Amino acid sequence: MTELRELAKKLLAEGAAKVVIGWEEGPRGVRPAFATDAAAADRLVFDARCAHDLAPYLDRRRVHVAKLGRPAVVVKPCDARAVAGLIRETQVKREDVVLVGVRCGGVLADPEAGGTLSADTIADRCRTCDSRETALADHVVGTPVEPLAAPSRRDARVAELDAMTPAQRWAFWQGELARCTRCNACRQVCPLCYCDRCMADKTQPQWIESSPHGRGNLSWHLLRAIHLAGRCVDCGECERACPSGIPLGLITRKVASVVADRFGHKPGDDPAVPSPIGTWRSDDPQEFIL
Amino acid sequence: MNATTISSSDLSGLAADLLAARVRVAGPARASDGTVEYRHAGAPAELVLDSGVPRRSLKEFFLPPTEPLFAWRTGAGGRVELLEAPLPADPAVVIGARPCDAAGIEALDKVMGWDYRDEPWFARREATTIVSLACAGFDRSCMCTSVGLAPDTTKGSDLLLVPIGGGAFRAEVVTAKGARLVAAYPARFRPASGEAEAEAFRKAAREKVAASAPPAADPLRPWLDAHFDHPLWREASLRCHGCGACAAVCPTCHCFDIVDEPETVGTGVRRRNWDTCQTPRFTIHASGHNPKNDQPARIRQRVLHKIVIYPKKFGEMLCTGCGRCSRACPGGMDLPEVLARIAALAGGAQ
Repeated sequence: MTELRELAKKLLAEGAAKVVIGWEEGPRGVRPAFATDAAAADRLVFDARCAHDLAPYLDRRRVHVAKLGRPAVVVKPCDARAVAGLIRETQVKREDVVLVGVRCGGVLADPEAGGTLSADTIADRCRTCDSRETALADHVVGTPVEPLAAPSRRDARVAELDAMTPAQRWAFWQGELARCTRCNACRQVCPLCYCDRCMADKTQPQWIESSPHGRGNLSWHLLRAIHLAGRCVDCGECERACPSGIPLGLITRKVASVVADRFGHKPGDDPAVPSPIGTWRSDDPQEFIL
Repeated sequence: MNATTISSSDLSGLAADLLAARVRVAGPARASDGTVEYRHAGAPAELVLDSGVPRRSLKEFFLPPTEPLFAWRTGAGGRVELLEAPLPADPAVVIGARPCDAAGIEALDKVMGWDYRDEPWFARREATTIVSLACAGFDRSCMCTSVGLAPDTTKGSDLLLVPIGGGAFRAEVVTAKGARLVAAYPARFRPASGEAEAEAFRKAAREKVAASAPPAADPLRPWLDAHFDHPLWREASLRCHGCGACAAVCPTCHCFDIVDEPETVGTGVRRRNWDTCQTPRFTIHASGHNPKNDQPARIRQRVLHKIVIYPKKFGEMLCTGCGRCSRACPGGMDLPEVLARIAALAGGAQ
């Protein structure tokens, strides 16, 4: 913690960054923080409660954040993959942001409840994450950590869904998606959902019905899954943000496994590695094209 | 105020009686992931009355996330025929509403009956009896006492249940509708008792909430009026993602969008859907100009609408202090904190 705070103060004092975007204690556990001076830098924290992905704050549409000036962002390995995605897709220039990597052993499934990280309390997505620190960083802080061996309940659930008949799977997802009110929290917290004009907001023509009925919700979540295929960095923010508790991680996880199987691709923290959706290879699978 | 007593088992029995009489029964129940939300119950055992604040508020029973207003059909000679959606009139009883949620429904009656009478809203209002359960105070995001309410407020409730120990509740009859419910199922109710126990519960609950709630919001109005462009809004909204989670869970956010959705060639449905002032799309003009073009302006709008604009127009607060916005916010925004900050600024300015 001292290392992170000292580095943040140094970056601010030397003018390398005008704001350090990290985490601080808030009224309900830790939350995103925007440190512009030494006092605020001294309030920065990093521990297993820091589940929030801070990469969305680099979105150019967040003009009030951009106005603070050149940012330094504290990134866990998954957050660094998100920043790599933004650089890869020309949304952020590498030289415009200072990246402070934190060594990460995973975050808590329930960050607000707090407690120590264990095989029982670790977030499901962290059970299958093999990255303890990122190479996409100007500075790396924290002590090296060992991965926790914990079986992925999410993968088990995906396998259960795969084993269902289409009718059972349909019933499952219709039940889950019936709770969606289309508040757009999943989209807004997603670091890779940065489109100026989301297809779901278009009205002429209206590709995606905005009504939160079965048809509209299915259209929206299918669209989101496809648009994030091979781009989703598994930061878990969509599922964490959903006020209706829809298990969106099951969708992103399934799509990621399809992309891995079919295109041999897993989004990493090297912006130079192209993603399947942004590149073409003569040996890409194409037998599904009619 | 009229009062009576009901035991937990008679409360379950009342739910069973209602279901048997084909009355829809709703209340806190568990969703597939174990979280509690307000749901229609198929059996009394599904209701879980002592399990915290339901994920979303009660408003969806009166203003559903999506609802058809009418359908259209193009008939012979290209004539368009409009088919009105039937008004929802199924009798329903909500059992175990939180007082902050019930209060939100009553606050919304004002705007729903203002420039026109919102028929679907009032049809559901008239068909629904709300039995609330006095709250013991839930967590540090609770702030009902800051907005002129209390964990035992009767506002919006037809009947208020107050725990008196031994699994029983003192049932206070608030409205004629509540009295009709008691009169319709006399076998489920006993003579009033436990007045002192109920009063002790209510007092303890009020004190618990008041201990962590921010200062009263009412006196902040003059300062807010005079500081529309205060830097507070810029600072407070930095972590806001501009999603609508706060509005989706709010008992009083009621803005809606109206859309026409074609179903087949020549037919379609006009629907109204929940909307939120937290997105740029909410205010964008046809010209492309957007009067609320950044998140600070949108956060200010949300706060001012709740504690300045609505009270000025309708004489009551558009926030019931349920704390859901703070619990749901993925960015860690916290309304009690924002109000405490405003109170500190307003105190300093005097």
